[in-house]
Amino acid sequence: MTATTTEPAQPTPASALAIPPKPRRVAARIASWAVTAVILLAFWDIDLEWDKVAQLPSDLVHYSALMFSSPDWSMLGEAALQTWRSVSMAWIGAILGVVLSTLLGIPAAQGVGPVWVRLPLRWIFAVIRAMPEVLIAIIILTVTGLTPFTGALALAIGGIGTHAKWTYETIEAVPPGTAEAVRASGGSLTEVIRWGLWPVAAPELMSLALYRFEINVRTSAILGLIGVGGIGAMLTNYTQFRQWDTVGVLIIVVIVVTMIIDAISGAIRRRIMEGAKVRGVERIH
Amino acid sequence: MDNTAATQRPEAGDHASPASGPWPITLDDVTVRYPNGVVAMKNVSLEIGAGEMVAVVGLSGSGKSTMIRTINGLVTPTAGTVTVGPHRISRLKGAALRRARGDIGMIFQSFNLADRTSVYRNAMVGRFSHTPTWRTLLGLTTAEDRDIVMRALDSVGMLEKVWHRAGALSGGQKQRVAIARALAQQPAVMLADEPVASLDPPTAHSVMADLADINADRGLTVLVNLHLMDLARQYTTRMIGLRAGEVVYDGPAASATDADFEQIYGRPVQQRDRLGQQ
Amino acid sequence: MTAADAVAGERSQLTIPPRPRTWPRAAAIVAALAAFTILTTIPAIGGVELDFASIARNWTNGADRIVQMLTPDWSILPRTWQPLLETLEMALVDAAISAVLAVPLSLWAARPTNPNGVARRAVRFVLNVVRAVPDLVYATVLVAMVGVGTLPGIITLVLFDIGIVVKLVSEAIDSADAHYMEAGRAAGGTQTQINRVTALPQSWPAIASQVLYSLELNVRISAILGLVGAGGIGRLIDEMRGFYRYDALGTIVLEILVVVIAIEVASNLLRKRLR
Repeated sequence: MTATTTEPAQPTPASALAIPPKPRRVAARIASWAVTAVILLAFWDIDLEWDKVAQLPSDLVHYSALMFSSPDWSMLGEAALQTWRSVSMAWIGAILGVVLSTLLGIPAAQGVGPVWVRLPLRWIFAVIRAMPEVLIAIIILTVTGLTPFTGALALAIGGIGTHAKWTYETIEAVPPGTAEAVRASGGSLTEVIRWGLWPVAAPELMSLALYRFEINVRTSAILGLIGVGGIGAMLTNYTQFRQWDTVGVLIIVVIVVTMIIDAISGAIRRRIMEGAKVRGVERIH
Repeated sequence: MDNTAATQRPEAGDHASPASGPWPITLDDVTVRYPNGVVAMKNVSLEIGAGEMVAVVGLSGSGKSTMIRTINGLVTPTAGTVTVGPHRISRLKGAALRRARGDIGMIFQSFNLADRTSVYRNAMVGRFSHTPTWRTLLGLTTAEDRDIVMRALDSVGMLEKVWHRAGALSGGQKQRVAIARALAQQPAVMLADEPVASLDPPTAHSVMADLADINADRGLTVLVNLHLMDLARQYTTRMIGLRAGEVVYDGPAASATDADFEQIYGRPVQQRDRLGQQ
Repeated sequence: MTAADAVAGERSQLTIPPRPRTWPRAAAIVAALAAFTILTTIPAIGGVELDFASIARNWTNGADRIVQMLTPDWSILPRTWQPLLETLEMALVDAAISAVLAVPLSLWAARPTNPNGVARRAVRFVLNVVRAVPDLVYATVLVAMVGVGTLPGIITLVLFDIGIVVKLVSEAIDSADAHYMEAGRAAGGTQTQINRVTALPQSWPAIASQVLYSLELNVRISAILGLVGAGGIGRLIDEMRGFYRYDALGTIVLEILVVVIAIEVASNLLRKRLR
C-alpha cells in the first residue's frame, strides 16, 4: 500500500469531490464481448426449431400427464428385477473398476512409480476419460455378448479413466511425512505403500469407491440403451413403444432407487471420512 | 495520523447525519440465553445518552459482543427490551427491523467486507435500507446514493481506493472502508465490535481516533467494544464493564483505575491488556 | 505386598492397555459386503452372470476391434466437421443457459444466502430428483416427446448441468466464510440485496469454475446423445457402429479426445485467471 492513502485528504468543498476515474479494463471487456459473441453465434447457428421450443411447455404437460397421471403399477415387479440387474452391474463394475484403478493408479502417483511408468499410464487414463462408456461397451460386447456382464465390464474399464486419476491424486495429496518416516526406518517401496501411504489414503479411497458405485448406478441405466439389459433397456423399449404409463413407473423407480442409494452411500461415506478425521487427531473414543 | 473527518465540517456533518440527530440507547432488564443454554447477558439495564462515546470492556465471552448485537437486533433478547431512539428494537421484525438497522451503523472486528468486489460496492451496502430491493437487484444506484457513498469514503480518506478490490487493501484500510460503509447509512448511532482487535497498534490508534471524530464532529452516539484498557481510557468518556454477562462497572472511562479493570477482567491486569502508545 | 514391591513389579512388567476389539465389527462389514456382492452375481434374481470364461474364449474379437480402431480411417474426417460443430455448439449453448439458471438457484440452495430452511430444502430436493435421472434417459424420453433433433439434447444437458452446478456451487457457498453477510444484515439489507451485492461476487469463482467444468462434461455427453437421436456427433457414431466401421469410430473417438483435452486445457487456464 502506498503512503498516500493515510495522508489527510484535502479539505474538499462539498460540491466537488476528487473521485478517481473508474478504471476501464480493456482486455477484460474485449474478452467478455468475445465470449458473448461466440455464445450468440452458437445460439444462432445451432439448428433450434423455435416452433418446437414454443410448443415445449404444452408438450411437457401433455406427456407428464400421460406418464404420471395413472402409472401402470403392474409393471413394478419387472421393473424391480431390471433395477436389481442395473444395481448389480453397477456394483460389480465398481468392484472391478476400483481394483483395476487402484492397481494402475498407485504406480501413476508421483513418488511411487518412475516417470516412464507414470506418464503412459496417465495418458491411458486420459484416453479412457474421453471415451464414452457406451463406446467401450460396444467394443466389449464383441467379447462377452449382449449380457449384463458386458455392462459391468464397460463400467469397470470406463471407470478407470476418472477413478485411477482420483487414486493417484489422493495418494499425491498424502502429506509426505508418514511415507518419509517409513522410508527412513529402512522400508522398501511396498512397505512405504502399505504403512506410509495406505493408512492415510485408505478412507478417502474407500469413500471414492462408494462414489464410483453411485456414478455407476446412473451410468448402468445409460448402458441399457445398447441392449446389455437392466432398467435402462426396459426404459428404452417402452419409450419406443410409447407406453407412457409404463415409462412413468420406470422413471419413478429410477429416481427413487437412485436417491435411496445416494442417501445410503452418502451416509456411509460421511462416516468413513469423519472416522478418518478423528483418527487424524489421534482421539480414540 | 489522519484526522480527515474534522476537516469535513460543517458540510459533511450536515450531509451525513439524519435529521433527527443522535439517539439514546436504553437496555431494560435484558437477558440473552442462546439455544445451547449459554446465558450471554443477565438482566442488563443501561441508559446511554444521545451523543455519548461509550466503551464496553470485558474479556472474550463476557457478553459484550452479544450486547452490541442486541442493539441492532442481530441478536434477539430472550427477555427485556432494547430501545434505540424511536425504535423498540427487541419488538421489531422484518421490514421495520431493517429500517431501524438502517439508522444504526456497525463495524466489526473482521471488517466483514466482500473481498472480491470493489470498495465502492462494499460501501454501497450502507445504502441498502434506503434502496428498494428491485433497484439493488438490477444494479441501479441513484446519483444521491452515489454522492453519499463517495463522501463517506472521502471522510475516511479512502476515496482514491474507491475502485480497488476490497481484498487488496491493508487491514487498516479495510476497517476504514467498513467505517465508510456504516457512515453511508447516515446513522444516528454507531456500534463497533472490537474494531481494532485485528489491527497493528498505530493503525488501531488511528481507527479509534476516527471513531472519536465521528462522535465529536457528527455527534453520533458511539458504542465501542474493547478488551484493551488503555484504548478505553484514551478515546471514550464512559466505560461499561461486563463480566459473565453482567454489568460490573459503569463510570467515567478516564478515571477508571487498574483495580476497576481487575474487577472487570476477574484477574490481575496483564501486559496484554494494554495496546501501548503509537 | 509393600509399596516398594509394587513399584518394582510395575517396572518389570509393562501394563499394556487392552487392545480395542475392532475385528468383530470389521468382520461384520466384510461379511455384509461379501453377501451383497454374491447377491449381485445370481442371474436368477436379476444379477450379473460373471462369465470370465467368455473373455478367455473371445478376447481376440475385442482385440481385433481395438486394432481396427487404432488404425483410423481419416477419409471420414470431412464428414465429422458438421456434427462436431453441432456438438460444440450444443455444449456451449447449454453451459450458457444453465449458467443463467444456476446462479439464482445456487444462491437459493445454499444456507448463508437463503436462511429459509423450507425453501432451501425444497430446491435441494427438486435438484436431487433432477440429478437422479441419468442424462441419456432424459434424452431418450425427450426424443420420443419432441422428436429427433438438437432440442431434446439441449434440454437434457441443461437439466444435467443445473443439477451438478447448483449442487457444487451451493456446497462451495456453504463451506465458505460468510462474514460479509453480517455487515449487510446490520445495515438493514434484505437477503436479496445482500446476495446481489456481496454474495454474488464472492461466489463468482465457484460459479465460473463449475460452469467451465459442465462445459467439459457437455462435450463428452453430447458426443453420445446422438445415439438416441438427440443431435451432435453421436449420430455419426451410431451410423458407423451400424456399419461396423470401427476404423471410422477410431477417428471419431480420437477427434473427441483432442477436443475434450483442448477444452480441459483452456478451461484450466481460464480457471487460474479467475482466482
